[in-house]
Amino acid sequence: MNLNAAKICLAAGAALWLLAEPGGRAQEKLPVGHGQDFTTESYFEPPHDRQIKMRLSGAEVTSLPGSLEDIRQMRLETFGVDGKLAMVVRAPQCTFAPFDGLANSPGHIELQTGDGKFHVEGEGFMWRQNEQFLTISNRVRTVIDMPAVKMNAS
Amino acid sequence: MKKIFLLLALGLGGAALAQVPPAIPASAIATNLPAAKSKPRAQTEITSDAADFDMNIHQAVYRGHVTVRDPEVKLTCDWMVVDLPATGSHLNHVLADTNVVVDFTDEKGETYHVTSARAVYDYKVVGVATNETVTFSGSPKVVTSQSTIESEPMIWDRARNKFSFIAPIMKSTAGLGGSGDTNAPMLNFLK
Repeated sequence: MNLNAAKICLAAGAALWLLAEPGGRAQEKLPVGHGQDFTTESYFEPPHDRQIKMRLSGAEVTSLPGSLEDIRQMRLETFGVDGKLAMVVRAPQCTFAPFDGLANSPGHIELQTGDGKFHVEGEGFMWRQNEQFLTISNRVRTVIDMPAVKMNAS
Repeated sequence: MKKIFLLLALGLGGAALAQVPPAIPASAIATNLPAAKSKPRAQTEITSDAADFDMNIHQAVYRGHVTVRDPEVKLTCDWMVVDLPATGSHLNHVLADTNVVVDFTDEKGETYHVTSARAVYDYKVVGVATNETVTFSGSPKVVTSQSTIESEPMIWDRARNKFSFIAPIMKSTAGLGGSGDTNAPMLNFLK
C-alpha cells in the first residue's frame, strides 16, 4: 500500500468511525498505517446526498496497538443539510478506539457552534460516540453569546 | 429607592400560603414584559472543574467550583445543569445546586447578595411577553445594604429586578425602626 492509499484508508476509516450513528451501525476496521495532512468528507443520506455532513482533517494519523488510532491536530466540522456550518471541534491530539466508540485525550479540546454563539474548551476529554456524550475533565470554560438581560429599576 | 417588593402573607391568604410552602410556579408571578425584538447581546461565561455534555438531550452538567458570569450577575455553586438551546438562541432553563451564591448590582448601584441551596432559572417567551425568573429554594436569603430577608421560596424577576417573598423574615440593617428579626407584614418597605 503506497502512502497516498494509506492516507485515504486511514482518513476514511477515521471518518467512518466518527460518523457512525449511535445504535451500532457497522464500523469499518481501520487499516494499520500512518498518514499525514488528511482531509475527508462524508455526505448525508438521500435525498441530501450531495450535501456534506462532516469534514474531518488532521495533520497526522497513526495506528496504535490495541486497535487504537492517534490523530494529531484534529479538526472536525459538521454541517446541516442546508450547508451551514453546525459545529467545529478541534483537538491537538486525540486517541480513539473505533470498536468501542470512544475518543479521548489528556489535552485540550475546543468546540464551537457554527454561528459562534456557543464555545466550550477544556483540558482532557472523553467522547462516547454511542451515547453522544462528551466529558471534559478539567478547567472547563463555556462562553455563550445570547441576548442581554437588562435589569430595570422600578 | 430600593426595588425589593414583598409578596406578603396577609390574612387568610397569608395563612394559606404559609400552609402551602412548595415552590410557586414562576409563571404565577412573572411579569409579562414585552418581548424584546433586538436586544443587545452579551456573553455569559461558565467555568467549572469538569462538565458533561449530552448531545442527545442538549444538556450540560457542570461539576465543581461552578462560576457563571455575565455583565450583571455572578453566580457560584457546586454543580449546575443547563438545558442548551437547540437553536442557539437563549438559555431557557438552568438548575444551580448546592452552595448557591448570586451577586449582582442593579443600575442604581444597589448590591444584592443571595444565598440558597438551589436556584432555578427559567426564561420563556410567550407571544409578545418575556418571563425571566430565578426561583431560590433551600433557605434562601438576600442581603442588601439595608436589609437581610429570608423567604422560602424567593423569586427574582430578573427583567424587572424585583424579588417576591412568601412569609418573609426581615432584618433591617439600616435603621428602619427595629433591629431584630420580624415577620410582620410589610409592603414595599424599601421603596
